[in-house]
Amino acid sequence: MITTVGIGILAVYLSILIGIGVYGARVSLKTKEDYFLAGRGLGSIAVFMALFASNITAFTIIGQAGFSYSVGYGAYGYVIGWSIFITPFTFYLVGYRSWLLGQRYGYATQPQVFGGIFNSKLVSLLFLILLLYYTLPYLVVSVIGGSLAFTTISDGAVPYWLSSIVIITISLIYTIPAGLRGTVWTDIFQGTLFLVVAGLLLAAVAQALGGFTAITERIVQENPAMLYRGLSEDIAPINWFSFSFINSIAVIVFPQMFTRILAARHSFNLKRVSLYYPLAMAGIFGISTLLGVWGSVAIPGLAGKEADNIVPLLIHRFLSPAWMVLGLVVILAVVKSSIDSQLLSVSHLVTDDLLPRVKKVSSGQAVFWGRILLVVFAITAYYIALVRPAAILSIAAFAFSGFSIMLPVMVGALYWPRANKYGACAALIFPAVMLHLWYLEVLPKWTTFGFMPVFPAFVLSIITLVAVSYATAPPPADQREKTFGLFDRVFDYGKGEEPERARETV
Amino acid sequence: MNFKVRLALVALIVLVMFILHNSFWLWDLDARVPLLFGFMPFAFSFYAGYAVLALVAMKIIITLAWPDPPSGLFKAAGDREPFKR
Repeated sequence: MITTVGIGILAVYLSILIGIGVYGARVSLKTKEDYFLAGRGLGSIAVFMALFASNITAFTIIGQAGFSYSVGYGAYGYVIGWSIFITPFTFYLVGYRSWLLGQRYGYATQPQVFGGIFNSKLVSLLFLILLLYYTLPYLVVSVIGGSLAFTTISDGAVPYWLSSIVIITISLIYTIPAGLRGTVWTDIFQGTLFLVVAGLLLAAVAQALGGFTAITERIVQENPAMLYRGLSEDIAPINWFSFSFINSIAVIVFPQMFTRILAARHSFNLKRVSLYYPLAMAGIFGISTLLGVWGSVAIPGLAGKEADNIVPLLIHRFLSPAWMVLGLVVILAVVKSSIDSQLLSVSHLVTDDLLPRVKKVSSGQAVFWGRILLVVFAITAYYIALVRPAAILSIAAFAFSGFSIMLPVMVGALYWPRANKYGACAALIFPAVMLHLWYLEVLPKWTTFGFMPVFPAFVLSIITLVAVSYATAPPPADQREKTFGLFDRVFDYGKGEEPERARETV
Repeated sequence: MNFKVRLALVALIVLVMFILHNSFWLWDLDARVPLLFGFMPFAFSFYAGYAVLALVAMKIIITLAWPDPPSGLFKAAGDREPFKR
């Protein structure tokens, strides 16, 4: 039951979001770059919270807790372990060089960056198609997970279909008028709220269960399998190794993450983000892991998808109604901060990379079309979320795998001057086809040699890029100079040019 | 130090971090190492330490191989060459 105080908390929360949307619309310029990239003026805190909040989905709090409920503490290292390091490293590996190209040539999306490097419309189109294809399931995962949690916490008072409408509508309230600036401002607010409330929630649940030590001792006595990674088949070493190629390296390929990196004001901002990102991710996944494992002894007996409701169930059973409202706000914050960025990025991709292929649009018209497309994609996501084609983790794994196998082309484009458009096209198409054949079980399981499909597909992507590039003509010298000449000036500046003095700004 | 050497050192750091993450031979310690702070089993506390190590690794990488762009590189924003569709 939601009390008057609870309704008040929700009202304040929603008012702040609406206020941000209204104010953001007033200060935003009616240009494409301002609407989709916030004028490339994001400072360290803005980029950090935008990346952090955008990358926190329903899975972080719902799926991870549910997974930990089933497999134990090992779920922590399995899901986020490698990501703690490699995700911020990819901000350097791919993010910084892409940011340099964006600053120099005005690129705003992956199709523009990599189509520009290879001087190829086809590479650009393939990036566009694949990113849209993989982002939509990822977006739906967020809506499904958030709606389930919303319904559970409200004790069924808000049905699933209505939860989806509420979540999507609130996301649109500030995203439509204010674009990236609106989503980043709300990310700062919602990310901070999420971190604070999640920490408090962990402490409150621990207290309700008798304290940190007491609940852990109970796990040792009643469910010791939670402590040992070697006992769970789900996180067996071969799966553990394979998963390194899904969750962690896919993040930089997400269009909403990539765009936010391009929107940074200075390389100084990206460095700060890369430095502190590991602690934030480790902290938030640590909280959801502990809640899930504790739930395995506090509320035992949940099976399969039921385990995904462990956090709402813990709140419902052990904490006061006020916590239910705070939990609801956190769930909303988590879900919306990813949904708004995903909606904006797919709208951006279509507006900036597809629409100009069929219609000449001015910068102002692009903003108009971007807003229309936000609504179109929101309705599409809502419809698919109602159909719910597969379990949350399965959809996420499929989307993540698809993103991951695009990374070799991105790295090759930024580091290997010999890579050409033929190699890039082949390395985008062939591994994606193979991934589908494995997921749809058209190919027998033994063809992955026991690994998850993403790993052989990732290796195929590297081999294809190298083999096809070597088998075909190298890129013209002027084309290579456009990209690698720029990099030479940055990474060899000891030859006389001084690095720009960084100005730290929020 | 030559930039290629710096990049090689960065690659070495990445390799070490990858090996540490996939250190399956340490899984036996899940049963032998006592709880850290009374509530963090080895499988969990290992990654709390790994996060701190990741921060140190990123600090080294930034110092080694992440130069800021030279001044004036982007001054000519007006002569940007927009992507031709």
